[in-house]
Amino acid sequence: MQVLNVLERDGALSRYAIGGAMGATFYVEPVLTFDLDIFVILPQTADGLLTLEPLYAALRARGYTEEGECVNIEGIPVQFLPAYNNLLVEALAEARETLYEQTPTRVLRAEHLAAIAVQTGRDKDRQRVRLLLEQALLDDNYLASVLARHGLEARWKTWVP
Amino acid sequence: MENMGTLRPEIARLIAAKEQRRHKLAALSFVEKVRVVVRLQQMVLPVLRARGHAARAWVLDDSNPVGQK
Repeated sequence: MQVLNVLERDGALSRYAIGGAMGATFYVEPVLTFDLDIFVILPQTADGLLTLEPLYAALRARGYTEEGECVNIEGIPVQFLPAYNNLLVEALAEARETLYEQTPTRVLRAEHLAAIAVQTGRDKDRQRVRLLLEQALLDDNYLASVLARHGLEARWKTWVP
Repeated sequence: MENMGTLRPEIARLIAAKEQRRHKLAALSFVEKVRVVVRLQQMVLPVLRARGHAARAWVLDDSNPVGQK
């Protein structure tokens, strides 16, 4: 978390939040995963391209190496996922501020994690939605507004009849 | 399949206890949950390795691992 905060402070990324299985684990029972999904808003590049390369270069400069689609940061494979659509941009903007031990960090809201799972649509995303519905304290009105804003109501209804 | 209404009482109690445990786990702090995830990784690693996966358990900078005070 400290490394992520330094990357944000130094401008290698504009904003980050924990998502994926670890994001869900913030709200529900611990879920087995081997990587840490970090959603990021990247700084604007001159040509407007969405590329992780400057972030990877900043990590390499700090001695962290790429392993497949992840970067090994202090023994944890971290996968950086740029916010590539409006739902993810909103989720990052509204992510919840929290502390991990003494270190400030951010976690995507449970309602956004559910909406992202619906949008992604894999079997494991259905399982995530089920767990969030069972165990997270979801704000139903807020969730409904997120689903409506991002055109996910119809799929939600097929998943949660 | 037998539904909950027809389960023998002792089985229903076991299932209820399991559900209660899941909710207790959900109520842990994030730091404690991360420790549980690492324990889960350690438990499942031998199986994954036997199947040829190269996964590794996370190494936490942690002086109070799961199950220890």
